[in-house]
Amino acid sequence: MQYNFKKIAVVPPASEFIDAVLSRTQRQTPTVVHAGYAVTRIRQFYMRKVKYTQQSWNEKLSRILEDFPRVDDVHPFYGDLLNVLYDKDHYKLALGQLNTARAMIDKIAKDYVKLLKYGDSLYRCKQLKRAALGRMCTIMKKHAASLAYLEQVRQHMSRLPSIDPNTRTILVCGYPNVGKSSFMNKVTRADVEVQPYAFTTKSIYVGHTDYKYLRWQVLDTPGILDRPLDERNTIEMQSITALAHLRAVVLYIVDISEQCGFTIAQQAALFHSIKPLFANKPLVVAINKIDVRKLEDLSEADRSLIDGMRDAMRGPAAMQLGDDDAFPIMSTLSENGVMEVKNRCCDLLLAHRVEQKLASRRAGEVMNRLHVATPVPRDNKARPAYVPPTLEASRARKAAGEKIITEKDLQEQNGGAGVYSADLRKRYMLENDDWKYDIVPEIYNGKNVADFIDPEIEAKLAELEREEEELEAKWEASRMDREPQEPELDEDERALLGEVRTRRNKLVAEHRRKKSAANNNPVVPRKADAERKLNTSNMKESLESMGLDASAAVERARSRSRVVKRGRSTLRDRDEDMSNADGEDKKKMRTSKSRSKSVAKRVGDDKGAGFKSVDDRMRAAKLADKAQRKRNKQAKAGEADRSIGNTLPKWLNSGKRGNGKTDRR
Amino acid sequence: MPQNEHIELFQKRYGKRLDAEERTRKKEAREPHRRSQVAKKLIGLKAKLYAKKRHKEKIEMKKTIHSHSERDNKHKVEEKAAPGAIPAYLMDREQTSRAKVLSNTVKQKRKEKAGKWEVPLPKVRPVAEDEMFKVMRSGKRMKKSWKRMITKATFVGPGFTRKPPKYERFIRPSGLRMTKAHVTHPELKATFQLDILSVKKNPNGPMYSSLGVITKGTIIEVNVSELGLVTPGGKVVWGKYAQVTNNPENDGCCNAVLLV
Repeated sequence: MQYNFKKIAVVPPASEFIDAVLSRTQRQTPTVVHAGYAVTRIRQFYMRKVKYTQQSWNEKLSRILEDFPRVDDVHPFYGDLLNVLYDKDHYKLALGQLNTARAMIDKIAKDYVKLLKYGDSLYRCKQLKRAALGRMCTIMKKHAASLAYLEQVRQHMSRLPSIDPNTRTILVCGYPNVGKSSFMNKVTRADVEVQPYAFTTKSIYVGHTDYKYLRWQVLDTPGILDRPLDERNTIEMQSITALAHLRAVVLYIVDISEQCGFTIAQQAALFHSIKPLFANKPLVVAINKIDVRKLEDLSEADRSLIDGMRDAMRGPAAMQLGDDDAFPIMSTLSENGVMEVKNRCCDLLLAHRVEQKLASRRAGEVMNRLHVATPVPRDNKARPAYVPPTLEASRARKAAGEKIITEKDLQEQNGGAGVYSADLRKRYMLENDDWKYDIVPEIYNGKNVADFIDPEIEAKLAELEREEEELEAKWEASRMDREPQEPELDEDERALLGEVRTRRNKLVAEHRRKKSAANNNPVVPRKADAERKLNTSNMKESLESMGLDASAAVERARSRSRVVKRGRSTLRDRDEDMSNADGEDKKKMRTSKSRSKSVAKRVGDDKGAGFKSVDDRMRAAKLADKAQRKRNKQAKAGEADRSIGNTLPKWLNSGKRGNGKTDRR
Repeated sequence: MPQNEHIELFQKRYGKRLDAEERTRKKEAREPHRRSQVAKKLIGLKAKLYAKKRHKEKIEMKKTIHSHSERDNKHKVEEKAAPGAIPAYLMDREQTSRAKVLSNTVKQKRKEKAGKWEVPLPKVRPVAEDEMFKVMRSGKRMKKSWKRMITKATFVGPGFTRKPPKYERFIRPSGLRMTKAHVTHPELKATFQLDILSVKKNPNGPMYSSLGVITKGTIIEVNVSELGLVTPGGKVVWGKYAQVTNNPENDGCCNAVLLV
């Protein structure tokens, strides 16, 4: 089992917890209800809300309760560590409170769903739902403190080193500042902080090292002081926990130089007072800081104290190894003896573990099945291992002191890197060595490329080109001879021709314009005038027969077919059109017709109409028509067709719709 | 420092980055801008919650600022003591005039005569019959409608058994029965969950009182033996009246004020 508390989910603070649950209900359940709905539907709507809220509380609280390890279920080492660090009672209480909160919320939901069954109006149902959710939230609000505590515990737990309590472990302990962390840094890559003051290490650190192709876990514990258990602080208690529960080799480090501020006598006293914790465990007492003070320099009393510790360390496992006399000494500063100490610890533990395994009940089953084969030689023939002759030769050369010339040596000789190019063909393995530097044919699609190359291709091409040029020149010359030259025009003729052409062009243009543009002149349709009577001469006759002077009217009708004259005169003359031939009541008619409101003269109505000249205007119209012609033939949309420039405007169709209207984003 | 606090360890060993302070300062300075951005973007429920939270924070801030600047602010000069005012240490002394005492007692007596209870909720909204009852159809063709179901919370005694359905005119649904009330002692300002003993009076009529309907303003009798109240004679009081202050059918619980 892996002890890794990193996966516990975050415990939110009460207010956030409430917000999360309520907003989830809001998001995940329907939100629209009307008083006009059938009452069963309304009830069902609110019941769903209550139930859903209860479910999400239940889910979230259960997750928390499941995630946090139970103190009684984990390895006793972790159990004790949790107790030391977070106070078991507090921890259990907090989890217990959440458990009861969960049960209470369930009960509330049940009660209110029952009440909702009797809801007879939207208002009442809504009030009941509100009360239910409110009560659930109140319960959780009351447990804000335990939620906050659990969150802190979670954060701390996730940073605990992942110690495997069952693997091979070296447990380093001793007084503060004796060099435990230095030893750890030398042996592993844990990178523990080392400072020259007591209690630099405030918690258990883990490092890993290798010995005999096995992984070893090294635990660096905080220093311990020599005092009764109930006076020890949290930092020391962590060490004690590790010592008490882990089946590891204990490495008790003694500072021989007394630089740590504790005498050897004190260190020995501590050793003897925590000795009960070392029971049934291999133990190594290592002497540190021998670079400062040698073992030989000790006084007689100190010497005897250290010997006393050594006696205690003689366990059954140590006896087995049989190197009793060599006292483990080291200096973490000069790295003398550190590896020896580590190796000794590891050996001891391995021996101990093997011994334990042998002692266990299951060992017998395994031993029965074990068999170590030791073959007996059948004759006296020697059967040595085969050594290839080339290997022997190279060995002999090496022994003779012959230097092997490498490619690198060659490079150095011939101008260094970048200049020298290595001869790759040198070591080709071919039947005949002469072939090494032969040219290799280039093969493409299974054919030799060289077979398809004409060596005279360039010359042939040049010849062809020259021939072609000659032919071209000849043809040009003949053409000049064949075509008769037209007589040149003189000055006047050219001018005349120009005029004729412009005139013709104009006419054509005008005709085309008229043809294509809608003719807006008033035209009497054929139907209305079957006998072709409606012309100006007839009009004149009929008017004159009535005794009217029709000359002006005729003139005006004719003028409609010509260019429309503009100006006030035509308007003014209108009343004279129908004047009596004898001009009797001229005055009366004039007075009866009032003058219409004067209109400002419209500029550019005629001629250019915005263009520089009529010609320009015509040209523009022509061009426009021409441009349109092709599109019209293809039945494409022109400028007169209805068009929507942007059928899918971005501002109307992208992004989220807010609270406001649908036509704004 | 535990083993896996890499950031702290790094900072301890190599210090923070050179512009760390500047960055934190700037970040802090940008905070109002960020907040306003958030406030602008939020919509719906979240916006409501956020606005409320922010409102509270602002009130808190203003209060703190106000309390800090209390000393420096200019205050109006305290008014001079009114004639006849007494210092604080004399406030408890008996100084009421005789006439006033007399009138007070007279008033008290009149009040006692006038109504039996001086209740905290003197006026109650009348509840119409069709709000109180739901008509239950019965009979083979479901055309008889003499049965009624009470839609409000009710109290029935502990030994209650329903009448046979054939004769049961008023149904009191078991889902709406209340047995406990949250009773507030107005002087102690404390609330207790107490057993309901009976419904004394429902302001909507004697029929409702006898049916045990609990609506807002109903006087109920609660078991106060837990509170340890004692009569002037030295006996323990165990039943006391309380007035219901909420609509139990809407809230799912019954809140009441003890009448003392």
